[in-house]
Amino acid sequence: MRAPLFRGHGWKWLLCAPALTVLLLAASGPLLIVLVYSFLSPGNMGGVVWEFSTEGWFRVFFRRDIFEPDLVTWNQAHLAVFWRSIWLSLQTTLICAFLGFPTAWFIATRPPSTRTVWLFLITIPFWTNLLIRTFAIQEVIRNNGTINTVLMRLGVIDSPIQMMFTDFAVLLGMAYVFLPLMVLPLYAAMEKMDFRLVEAGYDLYASRLMVLWHVILPQVKPGFIAGSILVFIPAIGAYVTPRVLGGGRTMMLGNLIALQFGQGRNWPLGAALAMLMLVVVVGALVLYLRAVNRMEGARRG
Amino acid sequence: MDARVQDTTVKGEIDITGVNKVFGQGAAAFHALTDIDLSIATGEFFTLLGPSGCGKTTLLRVIAGFEQPSSGSLRINGAEVAGLGPNRRPVNTVFQSYALFPHMTVAQNIGFGLKMLGKPRREIEATAAEMLRLVRMEALAERRPAELSGGQQQRVALARALAPRPRVLLLDEPLSALDLKLRKEMQSELKRLQTETGITFVFVTHDQEEALTMSDRVAVMSAGRILQMGRPTEIYNAPVNRFVADFIGETNFLVLPVAQTEGDAAHLTLPGGKRAQALLPDGMLPVTGADVTAVIRPEQATIVEPDAGDMTATVDSAVFFGTDTHLHLTLSDGQPFVLRRQNRPGQQPPEPGTALGLSLAPGALRVLED
Amino acid sequence: MAEKGYSVRRLPGFGLIAVLTFTMLYLPIVILVFFSFNAGPSQAVWDGFSLQWYEAAFQNRQVREVSIRSLWLAATAASFATVLATLAALGTTRGGRFPGQTMIYALINQPLMVPEIVTGIALLIFVAAIKVQTGYTGMGYLVAAHTAFCIPFAYLPIRARLETLDPALEAAAADLYASPVQAFFSITLPLLVPGIVAGFMLGFVISLDTVVITEFVKSAGQDTLPTYMLGQLRRTVTPEMNAIATLFLALSLIIVTAFFLITRTRGR
Repeated sequence: MRAPLFRGHGWKWLLCAPALTVLLLAASGPLLIVLVYSFLSPGNMGGVVWEFSTEGWFRVFFRRDIFEPDLVTWNQAHLAVFWRSIWLSLQTTLICAFLGFPTAWFIATRPPSTRTVWLFLITIPFWTNLLIRTFAIQEVIRNNGTINTVLMRLGVIDSPIQMMFTDFAVLLGMAYVFLPLMVLPLYAAMEKMDFRLVEAGYDLYASRLMVLWHVILPQVKPGFIAGSILVFIPAIGAYVTPRVLGGGRTMMLGNLIALQFGQGRNWPLGAALAMLMLVVVVGALVLYLRAVNRMEGARRG
Repeated sequence: MDARVQDTTVKGEIDITGVNKVFGQGAAAFHALTDIDLSIATGEFFTLLGPSGCGKTTLLRVIAGFEQPSSGSLRINGAEVAGLGPNRRPVNTVFQSYALFPHMTVAQNIGFGLKMLGKPRREIEATAAEMLRLVRMEALAERRPAELSGGQQQRVALARALAPRPRVLLLDEPLSALDLKLRKEMQSELKRLQTETGITFVFVTHDQEEALTMSDRVAVMSAGRILQMGRPTEIYNAPVNRFVADFIGETNFLVLPVAQTEGDAAHLTLPGGKRAQALLPDGMLPVTGADVTAVIRPEQATIVEPDAGDMTATVDSAVFFGTDTHLHLTLSDGQPFVLRRQNRPGQQPPEPGTALGLSLAPGALRVLED
Repeated sequence: MAEKGYSVRRLPGFGLIAVLTFTMLYLPIVILVFFSFNAGPSQAVWDGFSLQWYEAAFQNRQVREVSIRSLWLAATAASFATVLATLAALGTTRGGRFPGQTMIYALINQPLMVPEIVTGIALLIFVAAIKVQTGYTGMGYLVAAHTAFCIPFAYLPIRARLETLDPALEAAAADLYASPVQAFFSITLPLLVPGIVAGFMLGFVISLDTVVITEFVKSAGQDTLPTYMLGQLRRTVTPEMNAIATLFLALSLIIVTAFFLITRTRGR
């Protein structure tokens, strides 16, 4: 079918080579450098000294007493950040699931003509700037923002409610910016769903709740899992939202990493923290792929 | 009689000798074509017939140049073409999906081949106009394929493949996407085009009726081999084995003991004890008393009074088909038998349970090889 | 739709939550846009309609500068990414599976998986090293980083388009005496155009949105609109920021709508 030029697979690699080169240089390759840096010693003004050291990894979890270096304790500050990152990400995922499932269902049950419009409405925020959407949330919850101003004008409160720089602010912001990532895969799963099965469920005397639990949920489970992973991964890696809406006390892992390359000036520690984040994300992806494979396997019998 | 014996001295439009096509390697290797020998004469309407996966499309793709044979020789008009790409062969294809270029008009589609051959624009336009006339699509020259009906797209695909005046036109199940009525129309249209242009047609189909009505010759394929090749009447009346008999038309298979052999015929003992003469395939000499499989077409038995015919049978059911009625019968030894009877005005189908006599047309019974 | 009788598609309360979700999704954006037209300096108290903040934004030299840089960067990176992604899409979709394909997919999609902050500091380290070695501090780093980040987004619609192309079309071209090169330029490429345009648009929007990677890769004086905004958000902001954000939103909206329309008209 092809002239000799197109025999074999070499030409495919040739076509991919330019893209792969750029990706290796400006995306994948530097990750390896991060791994190397996590095992070096920190320089005084940032940067690294080329001496092997596990101190960076050590400091991820532990701290040494300044006066007695042998006195090792857990690094409570870091552990608090890890815990907050995971807890906020899980909560974000849950909120998105709780709001996303009815929303996706709502879209999927519209007539085909208006369905596209609703879907488009979900897609727009997905493609608009995350920073702007975070800014919009900031406007709403600031001390002199929309909510506080309205409540104070109405006389409900006398002084503004402090919402900015709290875990609540970060959670609200993340749920807001990542919600479309939950709705889209859920919708995709529902669109493929066989509504005759729902009818069959009702025909066989199931209540709405029973149909939801026994018929609908098992069918949209792949969408749920995909949506959860799509929300959880960027939430764990979040940097902009906690930076804008949170503060020093509500730092997440992403901000802790950035800190080591800014004021903290401890590049090996930052590199080790970044690797830790990568491990969590890859771990979540592996779990996801396993779940998908298991479901595919179950479907094939 | 044996289809696999070919006269290799005849130089045809297409000469295929010993062609094999293997996909994959080692244990995963799949033999798509095995030892294909085939010669197609100039101006012939030749059909490759078989179920899906039998290798007929692969053979067509090998002739077109989309696939290269793993071994063997392929000559078109006497010139060896194995190894040449499709753009270097004087053959054109009508694709099953039509494969019309969606971003070009009908006229541009038809002119594409000539343009690629570097013909001057005036010639391209003249040929395109001529081809549009040939397929009766003059009015739609500036339309896009998406604006055409299935039948119209089919005509454009034909015109496009005919425009470069190929020595051979290859047609890959071109009618399968059309509905029944349009398919019948296009069948005669294709036949007309073939006669008018005098181009050799190689036609691939899984529809035995299409193959029988349109072709000068048919090759029946299965599992990558050609089982039988011949004129439609030969294939229908004298199938060489069970597969061909079963695939072409409807057939009754009867297992019967041999009473006696003489020359190329044998006398078989029918259920009920009467004897009937059956034709034997070449070189087969069955032992007297052994069971053989014989075939007889449903329309080659007629109903007579009980005990007056060659066999007796009872009616299980009658299915009305418009022009004829299919009677599902059980012979006296329990073997099933289907009989097709042409309907006449006022004739009622027999009730289930009725006993009938069956009379077999002379020469209708044939013994199969296997 | 459930007023009459029993609809199997209705689940109680779902419609309400959905409407609430859509409101929650759009209300902050509507408020943001609304107060960009405020005559006063507040983003919560309405003082009448005015375009003064748009005027201020247009007259702010720094805003003009970072906007132009952002657009230039997005156009450049998206162009490179589109060309590279088109080649890669052709390589990965034509002519069946081949060894190493999974690895290529993984590499192409890698920027989608790795958190931006990790890519950001990785590039920071890498770029710092190169800067020391070469002394080059130009826009090249940002272009390379954005190009790499845009490749998977540009690749997606191009590959999707290629996969919907009937392979028989290329076979038909070859059958009609076109050489592989002729077949590519007269058949494959023209039919691929919608995918390529969509890929470019996605790449453009993604590059415009990218803030974390830019923040860590940029040298002094290379702020883009998002990093400029990120810096400004720390301070008390005026509706000028709303005006900038609104213009930015409008641009994204136009591109996304165009993308939506292009990818919806299939099979032409």
